[in-house]
Amino acid sequence: MNLGFVVGVFGVLILSHAAYSTIQYRGLLKIMEEEFSRPPINVILELIIGLALCMWAALTFPGKFLSIHPDSDENRTVSLPDNSDFMIFNHRGRLFPPEIDMKF
Amino acid sequence: MVTKTEETQLNQLEIQVDNGGGGAWEYLCLVRNLKIRRSEKVLKHGSSILNDPRKRSALGPDEWTLNEQVAIAAMDCQCLGVAQNCVKALQKKFPGSKRVGRLEALLLEAKGLWGEAEEAYSSLLEDNPLDQAIHKRRVAISKALGKPSIAIELLNKYLELFMADHDAWRELAELYLSLQMYKQAAFCYEELILSQPTVPLYHLAYADVLYTIGGVENVISARKYYAATIDLTGGKNTRALLGICLCASAIAQLSKGRNKEDKDATAAPELHSLAAAAVEKEYKQKAPDKLQLISSALRSLKI
Repeated sequence: MNLGFVVGVFGVLILSHAAYSTIQYRGLLKIMEEEFSRPPINVILELIIGLALCMWAALTFPGKFLSIHPDSDENRTVSLPDNSDFMIFNHRGRLFPPEIDMKF
Repeated sequence: MVTKTEETQLNQLEIQVDNGGGGAWEYLCLVRNLKIRRSEKVLKHGSSILNDPRKRSALGPDEWTLNEQVAIAAMDCQCLGVAQNCVKALQKKFPGSKRVGRLEALLLEAKGLWGEAEEAYSSLLEDNPLDQAIHKRRVAISKALGKPSIAIELLNKYLELFMADHDAWRELAELYLSLQMYKQAAFCYEELILSQPTVPLYHLAYADVLYTIGGVENVISARKYYAATIDLTGGKNTRALLGICLCASAIAQLSKGRNKEDKDATAAPELHSLAAAAVEKEYKQKAPDKLQLISSALRSLKI
């Protein structure tokens, strides 16, 4: 868990650094009165690296994924709940009461 | 619906608690949430918790829920002394409570005093005529007395008021089946499928009832619902697969007198052969020594 968390923090830092560089680059272009078409190559590279790190962290940090198929081995319906609202007590088991001693 | 994970968890806890490890309280909570009927175990472990004053005070306010659960389990196992004690303790703590009143009437039922229980329920109904649990207990009394027709009447009246109660529809279906009134049972299963279409067990039960009623249209519908069950369970339900094979042979037999086009429209040879192949594969995996039996049975069905 720790590694995923650290990598995620790292990825977020890289992304925010890329954002800051882009804002600075735009400011520079405004001074030089040129058009802003796309951020420089190194910022794009930084964005891709940050994306990869954040995705890896998002997939490993939360832990085990649960299955969503209704017929997967964990989710399949094994039985319906016994209808305890309509439970009756004069079944054959009433002739074999277990030995319970109670002190309360 | 009890899923496989919950069932494995329950079994693990049960083994752990039976062999003296801790976790009795978690086991009792799980049984209560899943609404399973494990009365002997609940009685044994619940009364061991209640007998120990230290563990009892550790529960805090949950102690009374445990009292109720142990009382019902004791009534199911016919340990009426334990049940009486639990109900008395609850009466002392919550005097004049409707829930405790219901438990007292339940105790009368367990003792076999059906008349007094019926009176107790009627008096409780006067105070709150829309109490679902009390209506259901009256149905249970008629069922226990062996009068399924009266139980059916009461249950029908209850379902006119509370149409969304799945358990009641299930109970009504089973009552009809016990009286062999298959068409009415089919109606109840239709209601269940309408309200909970993703539970494969209802489709399976409906298909079984349709197949039992017989007649070509019903068997064709039964085949459709067996196919729906297979769809919902990802092909793992052996009973549905066998159902399709049986429907195939029933349709072939019943439509012997019809002309060729009708027969071709209702036959579905790919479905039948696929189902037969899937059944044999399952048997090969899970019960290889019975594979011979099932292959010969399937071959005789084709005729």
